[in-house]
Amino acid sequence: MGTTSKLAKVYLAFVFIILYAPIFYLIFYSFNSAGNMSNFEGFTWEHYAAVFQDTRLLSIVLNTIIVALLSALISTAIGVLGAVGIVYITNKRLRQSLLSLNNVLIVSPDVIIGASFLILFTMIGVRLGFASVLISHIAFSVPIVVIMVLPKLQEMSSTLVDAARDLGATRRDVFTRVIIPYIRPGIFAGFFLALTYSLDDFAVTFFVTGNGFATLSVEIYSMARAGITLTINALSGLLFIVTLILVLGYYFVVNRAKTPFQAGVPK
Amino acid sequence: MKSLVRITVLILATVAVLFYLNTQLNDSSGRASSDTISVFNWGEYIDPELITQFEEETGIRVIYETFDSNEAMLTKIQQGGTRYDIAMPSEYMIEKMKEEDLLIPIDQSKIPNLENIDPYFLDLPFDPGNQYSIPYFWGTVGIAFNPTLLDGQTFESWSDLWSPELEQEVILVDGAREVMGMGLNTLGYSLNSTDDEELRAATDRLMELGPNVKAIIGDEIVETMRRDEAAIALVWSGQAADIMYVNEDIDYSVPQEGSNLWFDNMIIPKTAGNVEGAHKFINFMLDAEIAAQNADYVGYSTPNLLALDLMDPEVTGDVRFYPTEEMREELEVYTDLGPEMLGKYNEYFLEFKMSMNRN
Repeated sequence: MGTTSKLAKVYLAFVFIILYAPIFYLIFYSFNSAGNMSNFEGFTWEHYAAVFQDTRLLSIVLNTIIVALLSALISTAIGVLGAVGIVYITNKRLRQSLLSLNNVLIVSPDVIIGASFLILFTMIGVRLGFASVLISHIAFSVPIVVIMVLPKLQEMSSTLVDAARDLGATRRDVFTRVIIPYIRPGIFAGFFLALTYSLDDFAVTFFVTGNGFATLSVEIYSMARAGITLTINALSGLLFIVTLILVLGYYFVVNRAKTPFQAGVPK
Repeated sequence: MKSLVRITVLILATVAVLFYLNTQLNDSSGRASSDTISVFNWGEYIDPELITQFEEETGIRVIYETFDSNEAMLTKIQQGGTRYDIAMPSEYMIEKMKEEDLLIPIDQSKIPNLENIDPYFLDLPFDPGNQYSIPYFWGTVGIAFNPTLLDGQTFESWSDLWSPELEQEVILVDGAREVMGMGLNTLGYSLNSTDDEELRAATDRLMELGPNVKAIIGDEIVETMRRDEAAIALVWSGQAADIMYVNEDIDYSVPQEGSNLWFDNMIIPKTAGNVEGAHKFINFMLDAEIAAQNADYVGYSTPNLLALDLMDPEVTGDVRFYPTEEMREELEVYTDLGPEMLGKYNEYFLEFKMSMNRN
């Protein structure tokens, strides 16, 4: 690469502006004392104060984060095991069909998944609420983790495993000391993708929430009829900043820990 | 591997902390009572202070949840698995829920405040005798317009919209019943018409409107009108109120040929576990002071007669949002037409939308 053309830079800047402009527009109006998004009247913190006074909204935010973290964690564990399983299946046809089944789940519409979960849960008598939301989030995240981890596994040379076995490693050692470190970047990618999927899912969550448990996406969609208040703008601004800090923090930690080798090489 | 374990532990610890915070948060809002009711309502359709007040007065803890369409609400209640004690659907949905046996009859002896309600809003065709539903808010369908962009033109009649000077000026809400209803009303037919010839004629009439239509959209209407990007829109009264709150140039009128009058009502679904508490909640919401405060917050029209006296006369005297009984005579309430007839409405509406592309 080396020389990036000027045009490419301009294009890149343009794409970033398009991606970030709506977020900044939204944050900008969260300071509007006029209480709407059409004309800026004056600066105020009142919408931020409203976020912290609304215990129901805060509780919904906490619910959302808890479900996202837990479902991403569990689905990463399941997804990694699943991907390893799929790679080591020797029967080609079986492996191919398992992969296809996995992909079908990724492309099937959220509404269908949500409705089927609703029917399933009510049929077997599960009360809708925290558990039902968590289970369905894990379910739609697992295929994504599998897809993120598989390429890493496939590019791993089987000689690595053979060498480890020759040197006397047990099956467990091979898994924890050879395979897992090698596919680490894939695991992280899968985890973060699952996290974001869970955070912004509306369609599935709407069907399976109930009994006092709600997530942020469901709450915001429900405001459609009477209009979304600037409290939501303020809340979105806060979440955006927290996310930004987390990403920057992660970036610095990774950079500091980095050896001269690139990430992806076992250390 | 070690670092993965460490990260896992870290995440679990975070979750535990958040979980603890969440329980603290719920406890601090005085929700320790075992007596609870859960309310299923549109978003931003109640003053949150009133929920706290209800909890303090009765000791009943309120679990509040929201839905975004009548249909979505129906699905959740039909399927079960949740325990909703109160919901606030619109009138045609109540008719449907009644037919499907999803409602619990309301014991009116437990709701003394029912006498605060304007008798006009009781005993309506969708629920004779208010056996299953109690009025919550109401409104109309009409035209929001901006006279400053239209040389002071006003809209007394639906047919004004057909004026050739309004080319590319009219925005329609994307609803089959609303738009077809406008076509039917223009010709003097009922907006619950099931007569195929009338529907045909209404569609043909709508197609003539084609050149004037700028867009057929949903909630974005409010924002477009606020910004003076459109001069005329077919909207619900609540939307119009939202627009006018910001853009004072805008006016709203319900055309004289008639239009739709709609009601959102409180019901007790079959899934209810605390019917006693649900009655208390309904009675609480019907209290004059409470209803007035709620209407101030939400901005829609309240059916509560005593509450009207407590509110700003400038609001309640505004016939655009509180049309007089005489004016309401001209308005019609949607009836549940059944899935087959609704399909027909949708088909004709689609035909109209498709005809627009040809222009």
